[in-house]
Amino acid sequence: MISELLINAFLVTVMLAIAIALLKTRTVIFTVILTSAYSLVAALMFITLDAVDVAFTEASVGAGISTILFLAAMAYLPKKEEENFSNQFLPALSCIILGAILIWCSYDLPEIGLISSPIHQHIVPDYILGSRNDIGIPNIVTSVLASYRGYDTFGETIVVFTAGVAVLVLLQNNKKNPKNTKSKINKIDKKVG
Amino acid sequence: MHKNPILRVCTKILFAPIILFGLYVQFHGDFGPGGGFQAGVIVASAFILYSIVFGLDKGKELFPSNVNLFLLTLGGIIYGGVGITSMFLGEEFLSYNVLGSSPQSGQHIGILLVEFGVGLTVSNVMIALFNAFAGFKSGKGN
Repeated sequence: MISELLINAFLVTVMLAIAIALLKTRTVIFTVILTSAYSLVAALMFITLDAVDVAFTEASVGAGISTILFLAAMAYLPKKEEENFSNQFLPALSCIILGAILIWCSYDLPEIGLISSPIHQHIVPDYILGSRNDIGIPNIVTSVLASYRGYDTFGETIVVFTAGVAVLVLLQNNKKNPKNTKSKINKIDKKVG
Repeated sequence: MHKNPILRVCTKILFAPIILFGLYVQFHGDFGPGGGFQAGVIVASAFILYSIVFGLDKGKELFPSNVNLFLLTLGGIIYGGVGITSMFLGEEFLSYNVLGSSPQSGQHIGILLVEFGVGLTVSNVMIALFNAFAGFKSGKGN
C-alpha cells in the first residue's frame, strides 16, 4: 500500500515537472521531446492502474509514433515559439476555475477499484463471464474491443483511414514540380541529430 | 546522418526484430496486451526508422507508395468484409459466431481477421503520413 502511494507520488511529481518545463520552454524540439516524455510517464501511470493495454497504446502511439510525426512536421515550423506578452489574466482565471471545479467534482467519484461502484455493476460482469464462456479469449480487452464493441472499432479504423487520406490529399506533392524529396528528409535528419 | 555507420548497422540489425515484435503483438493480442492498433504502429515504426536513416527515396524503394496506399484501403476492406460475410451467412453485421464451425472458433477467426485489418490500416496510415510530411514541398520556400 505504502509502495503504491510512493510510486504514484513519484509519477505525479515527474508529470508535474514535465508539464511546468513544457510551459517554460520556447524551443519547438524540446516541446516535442517533453510531450513524448509526458506520454511515457502517463503510460507508467496506466500500468499502476493495471490497464496494460492502454499503457501499451500510450507508449507506442503517444510516446513513439506521434513524436516521430511531430518531428517530421517540425521541418515546416519556425524553430522557436514567439513570445506572447498579451494579457493572459482571463485565460489563466478560466483555467483555474475549471481546474477547481474538476477537483471539486472528483470528490464525488467512487473509489478506484471499488466493486460496488456503478461502472462495475452494469454490463461488466456480462463481458467478463462472456469473454470466457462465449468468446474463449483470455484478454477481456481484446474481446470487448473486437467483438462486443466491434462497431466502435470499425468506426475507429475508418477514422484513422479518413485522417490518413485527408492528410495525403492536403499534402499531396505538386505533380508539376520535379521530385526533390531528399532535401526535406535531410532537414529532418539535421533536426533529429 | 546517413553516413554514420553505427546508425546504419543498428537500423539493419533492428529492422527485422521490430517487425517480428509487431507481428507478435498483432497475433498474440488475444492472450496478452496488444492488438491491431499497437502492432500497426510498431510495424510502421520499423519502416519509418529505415526511411529516416537511409533517406525517403530508399524507404520508398523498400515499400512503394502504391503498395502502401493499396494496403491502407485493404485493411478497412478486410474489417468491413468480415462484417458483410457474417451478414451473408445469415447473422447480423460483425457477428462472428457464424464464421467458424462452433461459435467460439467463429469468434476467434473473426477477431483475428478484424485485428489484422486494423493493424494493416494503422501501419499504412502512419507510413503514408510520415512520407507525406517528409516529402512535402511547401510553396513558400522554407
